[in-house]
Amino acid sequence: MYLYELSIRDWWEDLKATFILNFIADDRYMLLVKGLGNTFLVTLGATILGILLGVIVALVRSTYDKNITDMQPGFGKGVLITLNKIASAYLTVIRGTPMLVQLMIAYFVIFVSISQHKTIVAIIAFGINSGAYVAEIIRSGIMSIDPGQFEAGRSLGFNYAQTMLYIIIPQALKNVLPALANEFIVLIKETSVSCYIGLHDLTKGGEIIRSRTYTAFMPLLAVAIIYLVIVMFFTKLVGILERRLRNSER
Amino acid sequence: MSADHLISVKDLKKHYNGGAIKALDGVSIDIDKGEVVVIIGPSGSGKSTLLRSLNLLETPTSGNIYFEGEDITSKNIDINKFRQKMGMVFQHFNLFPHLTILKNMTLAPRKLKHESKEEAEAFARELLKKVALQDRADAYPSQLSGGQKQRIAIVRALAMKPDVLLFDEPTSALDPEMVGEVLDVMKDLAKEGMTMVVVTHEMGFAREVGDRIIFMDEGKIVVEGTPEEIFGQTDNDRLKTFLAKVL
Ligand SMILES: Nc1ncnc2c1ncn2[C@@H]1O[C@H](COP(=O)(O)OP(=O)(O)O)[C@@H](O)[C@H]1O
Ligand SMILES: [Mg+2]
Repeated sequence: MYLYELSIRDWWEDLKATFILNFIADDRYMLLVKGLGNTFLVTLGATILGILLGVIVALVRSTYDKNITDMQPGFGKGVLITLNKIASAYLTVIRGTPMLVQLMIAYFVIFVSISQHKTIVAIIAFGINSGAYVAEIIRSGIMSIDPGQFEAGRSLGFNYAQTMLYIIIPQALKNVLPALANEFIVLIKETSVSCYIGLHDLTKGGEIIRSRTYTAFMPLLAVAIIYLVIVMFFTKLVGILERRLRNSER
Repeated sequence: MSADHLISVKDLKKHYNGGAIKALDGVSIDIDKGEVVVIIGPSGSGKSTLLRSLNLLETPTSGNIYFEGEDITSKNIDINKFRQKMGMVFQHFNLFPHLTILKNMTLAPRKLKHESKEEAEAFARELLKKVALQDRADAYPSQLSGGQKQRIAIVRALAMKPDVLLFDEPTSALDPEMVGEVLDVMKDLAKEGMTMVVVTHEMGFAREVGDRIIFMDEGKIVVEGTPEEIFGQTDNDRLKTFLAKVL
């Protein structure tokens, strides 16, 4: 009995000491804070770049699908065919290769000249990657809009671009908003591979602590918990968003 | 040429699958200002294709369409300009669900005719009063009944001050008790002298409001005449068979 209590006390003291060693001593928790900031920075930047790319690629792809059979041969048709080929190749390559490989190619091959700006390289690499997935999300959103909407727009005298801008895209974006938010959540976790290029993100923050204190359990657990809390928080937000959208559903 | 008709269709053909399906097989028709032309015929006879060709929602395989004297099938024409003068009302309303009723009605006048917000909204409210929906200006389409939606669809088209209104089975998607309120709006428009081309299965409407009735079958105009000629003694067998089914 007595012994047992003693061992619990030991264990508790031990835990406290490890905690202090890993997070308090030398302000090591700041390594996690700084990492978290970079994780958010890369995720946010990549999301914005991804949506930009995604909308453009989705527009090219759905314009091609909608119009190519009715188009007269000519310059416009040639341009559209070329753009569609580029867009398809982009989707195939990005979705057919691992993110980590893309990141390393970006860092060690393409952007060697700016390799000291790891955050920027990561934002570009993750943004280009995310754009491929976002493109398909938005394309499905555009395709899910009743063709009657398009016809109503055209019958009023709107041209193709105006109909897309005023009538189709707003409805499509609204429909895929939860899916886009989920893409953001996926990206939060996915950016953890950027410690491979030495970017000080959240994961790397834990790694640095581990390499300094020679204890793996606590820093890695802390990293995992932080990711989990963030993901749960945003998942909850998306849930609320989805409910809001459904309630305003007409 | 053909400047004396509002719309003049010359030998219009629309083929699908390389000619295997002849949705329109040589249709010619003139429509004058102020006329109400009703198109009837069995399902698949090409009524929608003809109507949707008039504003080039369908691209004809061959033939010409003149609108106010200009050949809108010619290549160097800006069809969007002409569509502004040709309102269209669809079977399934096609209101814009993300916009309020007022925005549904003012979007095109504001963006295409550059009307001011005040100007466009004032006219929209005037039109809403005409169809007794002035208190629904800020509602969304989902909050309306089918009959209300179709009345809004009609005034949305009218907000562009078109020279002609095209209707493709405007009451076919409605519950029976709502058909009347939509037909009443259309009757009022006819009385005011609006030019209308109406595809419908409402024979009562055709008889009462139509100046001219066109009976189509298999992509062709089979019989064309006044309501008396169509609904009176006809010696056309196909028309007889059709009327026996729908009357
Ligand atoms: N996109 C299409 N592809 C192939 N056939 C079509 C298409 N649209 C219409 N058709 C055919 O053209 C014919 C006329 O159709 P439609 O004008 O819709 O008839 P209606 O409106 O009189 O019922 C039908 O046989 C229909 O199957
Ligand atoms: Mg039809």
